[in-house]
Amino acid sequence: MTSTVHWQSSSNLGHPVLVMPEANAQIAGTQLILRSRLEDLALVAPWLDSLAMAYDIPSKTRFAIDLCLEEALSNVIRHGYAGEPNQALTLDFSRDILKGLTFTIVDNAPHFTPPEQAKPTRMPSSVEDVKPGGLGIQLMKKFATTVNYEQLPGGNRLTLGFQVGTAKRADA
Amino acid sequence: MKVSTEELDGGITRVVLDGRLDIQGAAAVDLQMNVIAGSCKYLLLDLEHLTFLGSMGLRSILIPAQAVRRRGGKVVLFAPVQMVEDVLKASNIDTLIPIHHDLDSALAVFQ
Repeated sequence: MTSTVHWQSSSNLGHPVLVMPEANAQIAGTQLILRSRLEDLALVAPWLDSLAMAYDIPSKTRFAIDLCLEEALSNVIRHGYAGEPNQALTLDFSRDILKGLTFTIVDNAPHFTPPEQAKPTRMPSSVEDVKPGGLGIQLMKKFATTVNYEQLPGGNRLTLGFQVGTAKRADA
Repeated sequence: MKVSTEELDGGITRVVLDGRLDIQGAAAVDLQMNVIAGSCKYLLLDLEHLTFLGSMGLRSILIPAQAVRRRGGKVVLFAPVQMVEDVLKASNIDTLIPIHHDLDSALAVFQ
């Protein structure tokens, strides 16, 4: 069974609107369609496994992609959609000899603070000082080769790039 | 995601985390981890079989570690695979909780 994402112009604003297909999250080749539920994130790892196998993605790069996608998608679900469970997210994969591996996340959520403008998380001085949370953007910046954010008329587009074989090391 | 525990000499509790500590994994182990942390003083978190660690998974490590440390206890992270260790370093956790790859040196922290 396949699933498609439909882009259509809204009648009043004239911008593209992501319409959620009736079926729940489904894997359709290089595109994964999710609903805004944290449990749908369980579909990402097997989808990534199939891409890693098909495109011979090294395990370190696969780990970095897995990490960045979990952080990015969970941010959209928890903060962008603020827990609304039936909103749409699409995740697209492409590969380019020069650009490497690219994952694009599109949602209809309100605009959020671009990753490059996010305040760096203060490094705690002791375990007791650590405030768990807020590390997601920091991890994305460290593990993805590129992180690009664009505001769409009715949502957001986050593009994560990974160069195969040159995955950034966290301690680099 | 599986959690198993082993009581070692010297009052050390070894907790083995096995699987993916992603959002689902974190939700599955949080309660058990907090119960364990609530009753032990020396906590050896064995990460050798942890295949993935995300920011929500870091919470599952940090919150029990905080509970142990607040009671005057000690926590050591043992044998993470390279990419899991990279996540710990990217989050600066390695400067707060020692990471050891050799069991004897890990246990020596509790002496």
